Amino acid sequence: MTSSSTSDLSVDTTTKTIPPSQNGAENDHSAPAKLTGYLRLDKFSGIYLAVLLIVVFSVMLPTTFGTLDNARVIAGSAAIGGILTLAVAVSMASGTFDISLAANMTFSICLLGKLLTSGGIPWGLAVIITVAVGAAIGAINAIVIAGVGVEPIIATLGMSSVLAALAYWVSDGQTILLDGVGTAFTDAGTATIATVPITVLYLVVVAFGLWYMLEHTPFGRYVYAIGSNPQASKLAGIKVKRVQAISLMATSALAALAGVILTMQLGAASFGAGAPYLLPAFAATFLGSTQILPGRFNVRGTVVALYLLAIAVKGLQLQFPDLPWIKDMVEGLVLLVAVSVTARAVRHRRNR
Amino acid sequence: MVDHEYEPRLKLEAVSKTFAGTRVLHDVSLEIAPGEVHALVGQNGSGKSTLIKILAGFHEADPGASAIVDGRPRVLGDPDDIHASGVRFVHQDLGLVPALSVVDNLALGHGYATGVGARIKWQHQAKAAEDALRAVGYELDVRKLVEDLQPVERTAVAIARALQSAKGTLSILVLDEPTATMPKAEVQRLFSIINTVRDQGVGILYVSHHLEEVFELANRVTVLVDGHRVATECCSDLDQRSLVDLMTGGVVDAARRRSAPTGGECMLSLDGVSGAEVNGLDLQVRAGEVVGVAGITGSGREELCSLIFGAKSREGRISIQDRELPHSRPDEALNLKVALVPAHRLRDGVLIGLNVRENLNLTTVRQLVRHAWINVGEDRRQAANISQKMSVKAPSLEAPIEALSGGNQQKVVLGKWLQTSPHVLLLDEPTQGVDIAAKAEIHHLIDAAADQGVAVLVCSSDEAELERLCDRVIVLRHGRTVSELVGAEIQTRRLVHTSLGLATETDTQGGVGNDLE
Repeated sequence: MTSSSTSDLSVDTTTKTIPPSQNGAENDHSAPAKLTGYLRLDKFSGIYLAVLLIVVFSVMLPTTFGTLDNARVIAGSAAIGGILTLAVAVSMASGTFDISLAANMTFSICLLGKLLTSGGIPWGLAVIITVAVGAAIGAINAIVIAGVGVEPIIATLGMSSVLAALAYWVSDGQTILLDGVGTAFTDAGTATIATVPITVLYLVVVAFGLWYMLEHTPFGRYVYAIGSNPQASKLAGIKVKRVQAISLMATSALAALAGVILTMQLGAASFGAGAPYLLPAFAATFLGSTQILPGRFNVRGTVVALYLLAIAVKGLQLQFPDLPWIKDMVEGLVLLVAVSVTARAVRHRRNR
Repeated sequence: MVDHEYEPRLKLEAVSKTFAGTRVLHDVSLEIAPGEVHALVGQNGSGKSTLIKILAGFHEADPGASAIVDGRPRVLGDPDDIHASGVRFVHQDLGLVPALSVVDNLALGHGYATGVGARIKWQHQAKAAEDALRAVGYELDVRKLVEDLQPVERTAVAIARALQSAKGTLSILVLDEPTATMPKAEVQRLFSIINTVRDQGVGILYVSHHLEEVFELANRVTVLVDGHRVATECCSDLDQRSLVDLMTGGVVDAARRRSAPTGGECMLSLDGVSGAEVNGLDLQVRAGEVVGVAGITGSGREELCSLIFGAKSREGRISIQDRELPHSRPDEALNLKVALVPAHRLRDGVLIGLNVRENLNLTTVRQLVRHAWINVGEDRRQAANISQKMSVKAPSLEAPIEALSGGNQQKVVLGKWLQTSPHVLLLDEPTQGVDIAAKAEIHHLIDAAADQGVAVLVCSSDEAELERLCDRVIVLRHGRTVSELVGAEIQTRRLVHTSLGLATETDTQGGVGNDLE
């Protein structure tokens, strides 16, 4: 956004219409741009804020927050939600979205539990099947959204309910204990590599893959083009529906993967475990679109937002252990604020 | 006419504006007499929109500016005060609600007449709407939906609404690019509306890129260049050439090619193509040929490019060289080296939110991949090359596309397609809302493409543009070709006549659009 303020002509070069809102918005933007020139607050505010929070909480809570163990807990526990958050970002980037991914995660957990306990399927194969089924659910979402043309919110709301029902059907509404599966399976979720929880590694792999895909391949360029203007993208010869379908499938497959990793970590297929991840994932995604590459749902920004949120929540939880509602409050507020910021930025762009 | 005995209806003095340290308006003054049509001209970026935005109260002027309406000082930058003084604006997008009827649209600005139980008195309301339209000298079925109206009819409704909302105290009517999407025939009907309003003593500020309109309509013209007022002259003291000189400091679009190529390979061939308006059209375009399509609104001209490229579904066969292009498949069109520069730049052309480089390389990004990664250097180099070739004026290649002026955005859209080295170039209103200099540059680029053997199809409501560009022009009416003009036969006046279906075309000399040559 700030780069616009460097062009003095941007204000009156469109002779066509007078925008109904935003008078002198360039003025508003140029002043902070000058003040924050070197810090690039427009891009990196999340990182500064995260560092600030770490310092403040470490000073206030040196024994509970300011420890390496706590850092490991934050890094590890945010990783599963992080994969789900990146899943949200992929479909949002291509101008569609999927709220069924939490239900998908729950369903995948139940399906994996069933596969592991009822058949003689090796756990590796069970994981692959679960992720593949997740991708197939994404394909169904894609057919309904991109093919039939149903609004994403309605389509995936419906899919959420269907998946909740299927999850119940598969698991009988019970948490399935996975004692007999073996330690290799649970190790895959609980091991540490050089004291770093293995879930962080999974997040790094997923983040790297998506970062490569979105920012360094033509496919990613098409994703952002469609997210910006599907009609113009179609007229540039891009296969809009196919790109959106692939993003939706990636979203669902990642949701299933998050479910798989959670199951590994818990050593049990916990019924209903996916639902609490929904809101923080959307909150971090929107917050992420204001970071690193402002105005875009981007991987690095999403990871920054993810950990900023995790640090804030953890610090507040430790500071106010008597307030169990603090997590919901923070995540809800962050979602509202982040969405307001992005909505304002989008309106600002459209009105120029 | 301009009579200095009367006090001016609007007097703007010493209006300056500084954005982020850059002065975009320098001490501009403007005076509009009662019953005067005052044209405001200047290239994109000259400051005319800023001036109008200041008058409307969207921007605040730098200190020292003053506005006087009908002898009373008004607060510049306060929209309510300007509104109260009877100044009204009709913007290019008109601000109507397309899905509502004319009655509703007029009532929205004015309020409904209600009876018992807040019931709307529809008959009363319809009559009020008819009266409001009659006040601008226009009649139409007020029960029609606005989206079903022709462009000029919509503009009439918007002007009627402005007049009505001022309740008889309209002092100044500002018309911002009212003819941008209007065929010439409808422009004449708009002029009679404007003259009706003018005769009521209203001062009219008329902003347009079309200089021939300025001469036909305006009493005086004010020229802005880079935020400075360089002249305010009576139109009778100027001709088009001298006005263009004032705006640009030199003639910009003098060159024209008319070396009609023959015998090139047939690149684009339409066989019985039909859409919503186009009806069984046959057409061939050869390599190196520039074929124009003229026609009024609804003739099929507006949808032809979309039908060919696949933006809209169609019937009939289309072949590119000897390969068939399936319908509704823009991706196939891209593969067959067809390019489309669409008419609605913001809706269909540029990608707001992506930067200039990404917009330029969108169609060719696959060729930039080295070892499975988009090569960053190649990406930049290619964008830099094409933007230099097209003289795109941008703060940087990483600047958001919306920071560019309309003309430069249009060059980006064109450049995006020229990078694909197309065999067939479809241009739908290629210079709509583009200033004179950019228009000339775009015309040169089209010439150059044709010289390199591209088959070019230009659909345009600007007949002078067709005359400037084309080797051959077909005129559409009711979706069919009614006439085909070749070479020297292509003249603005003749195209207008044929588009309208007027029988005689005797006067082919001195058409207003010809003066530019």
